[in-house]
Amino acid sequence: MNAKARDLDALPAHIARPLPGRAPLKLRWSAMARIAWGMMFHQKLKLFGTLFGVVFATLLANQQIATFLGLMHKNTMYVKAQDAEIWITAPSTQQLPPGQTISEAALMQARAVPGLAWAEPVVVGAGTVSLPAGGREPVTLIGVKLPHRAGGPWNMVAGDGSVIEQPDTLTFEDAEREKLGGLNIGSVREVNGKRVYVGGFTWGLLPFGPSYAFGEYDTVRRLLNLEKDQVSFVLGKLAPGADATAVADELRRRLPDVQVMTRDGFRDTIISYILKQTAIGVTFGTSALFGLIVGFVIVSLSMLSAVVDNLREFGTLKAVGATNWDLSKLLFIQAVTYALMGSVIGLGLVTRVAKGISGAKLSLILPPELLIGSVVVMTVLCVAASSMALMRIRKLEPAMVFR
Amino acid sequence: MKYAIDARSVTKVYGEGDVAQRVLEGCDVQVPHGEFMMLVGPSGSGKTTLLSILGCVLRATSGEVRLFGEAITGVPENHLSRLRLSYIGFIFQGHNLLASLSAEDNVAVQLQLRGYPTKEARREARALLDRVHLAGKYHRRPAELSGGERQRVAIARAVAGAPPIILADEPTASLDAANGALVTELLRELARERGHTVVCVTHDNRIFSLADRIVRIEDGKILADHRERAA
Ligand SMILES: Nc1ncnc2c1ncn2[C@@H]1O[C@H](COP(=O)(O)OP(=O)(O)OP(=O)(O)O)[C@@H](O)[C@H]1O
Ligand SMILES: [Mg+2]
Repeated sequence: MNAKARDLDALPAHIARPLPGRAPLKLRWSAMARIAWGMMFHQKLKLFGTLFGVVFATLLANQQIATFLGLMHKNTMYVKAQDAEIWITAPSTQQLPPGQTISEAALMQARAVPGLAWAEPVVVGAGTVSLPAGGREPVTLIGVKLPHRAGGPWNMVAGDGSVIEQPDTLTFEDAEREKLGGLNIGSVREVNGKRVYVGGFTWGLLPFGPSYAFGEYDTVRRLLNLEKDQVSFVLGKLAPGADATAVADELRRRLPDVQVMTRDGFRDTIISYILKQTAIGVTFGTSALFGLIVGFVIVSLSMLSAVVDNLREFGTLKAVGATNWDLSKLLFIQAVTYALMGSVIGLGLVTRVAKGISGAKLSLILPPELLIGSVVVMTVLCVAASSMALMRIRKLEPAMVFR
Repeated sequence: MKYAIDARSVTKVYGEGDVAQRVLEGCDVQVPHGEFMMLVGPSGSGKTTLLSILGCVLRATSGEVRLFGEAITGVPENHLSRLRLSYIGFIFQGHNLLASLSAEDNVAVQLQLRGYPTKEARREARALLDRVHLAGKYHRRPAELSGGERQRVAIARAVAGAPPIILADEPTASLDAANGALVTELLRELARERGHTVVCVTHDNRIFSLADRIVRIEDGKILADHRERAA
């Protein structure tokens, strides 16, 4: 027993003894949580202000990203909708439609490669629809081979895929019916100067460029005036158990003059082409970032002002034994609470907005990764935003409580 | 370790150079265990400054202060909060309660910081509020209590967890005479029951009679050997 402990033992029994000092970490977290939530919900105006910042950031950033993803989806949906995993096309192809065609010989080669269950040709090119009232509208013509119809129309709202088996018959996009002069099933139009019949309508197949119009292979070849033996794509379906990368490698070896891509590879190529050719990524990215910055500033300032308005309380907490670390726990708990509440509200709103806005021309896509990512990003943002408030607290002298 | 508080030659200078102001000059203060001491003196004489140094919220420029034999002068800044938890309960001129928390939570938080698990903290907080005659007002926020009631919650918080030393800076300043006397009597009773050593700064001559001893400070100097016993 040391001298000091002996001294304490010698004190009269009724005298209060020195205490052990700091409580265990768990209790300090619990005390700070009690204060953190007490303060947050006591100051309703600040609570709403801060939440507004988080909700705004969540809403704007997600809306921008979801719109961007929706646009990327519209531009790759043709590729993604096909069950063919292998796409053979001209070396220069980076988007739909390709600028160049390849020889039909690739089709024969592809059919000879082990690992492909089938291979089918597709032709794609620009079409111009002459409107009855004068004027013209562009479409993207896609011709597919019967009876397989690989690469053919899907998402039909009127008629079905088989309508293109009728002579000189195309399907058009439902959302473009007005634009194309009030199309109906059975309407007759001139496309590239030749008469065609409207056989059915697809829904929502709208990339950046002209909408898709599907027809039988030879019909479309004729409309496009394609040279004999030229195709835009050869689509290949893997045999059960075959590996897409291995089959693609084998095809590349056998067909050195063409480009062989997997379905995912082609999708990625289209997206990176769009990102490079247009400022769309930057535009949406900037808006999303703007949302985050505004949210950060709002959360920063309102958390700081909550501290500045309550300096005496924070000073008192320091005087009665809370350390800077304890008070950073307090701010951390508040920041995380703001982030969780705000992002849940924000995501609820953006989901509703997405439902409201989505249509044939635009769909907002909110994948689960984005939703989870938002919560994480908002948490990081709010915790970072609390640092101004923390700096103010750290500077606070506990002696101020006596002033 | 004859004294609960043993301060020797404590000097405090605010500022530096031309603006330097000597606020305390060689102060010696010894407070025996369990004493209820009052510190009195004119405005600006350095009472709050001295109390802040004894309370480990302000560091003396020179001199030595021991609490229960432990030197608190010269310890690093980040150890001071540990010392406050070990030794000190504060009562301020204003109540300084957290406006957003109930009376019970204001006391319970102090208990948690002193190591009481959540449930015990709640039980002990209520017991202390009962003791300061606030039974049934556990869930009131400070704004829903009278000035005297608030100061009683502040007393409950100061003694929560039984720190050996209670430092009070004009605890009756914001109260009327009757309430001031009541609150001081309550503090006095609690201190006697629980063995707290109390230093209470006051201007309020109506409560002088409650002190074991009154120490006078003027111009930063403790008036020599001023050991008046209350009548
Ligand atoms: N942080 C500070 N910086 C500079 N000077 C200070 C500071 N705090 C106090 N002083 C000065 O120190 C002197 C003593 O102040 P202190 O607050 O200790 O007096 P007091 O005895 O408590 O007065 P009162 O009875 O009015 O509360 C005063 O002249 C004051 O102006
Ligand atoms: Mg004072």
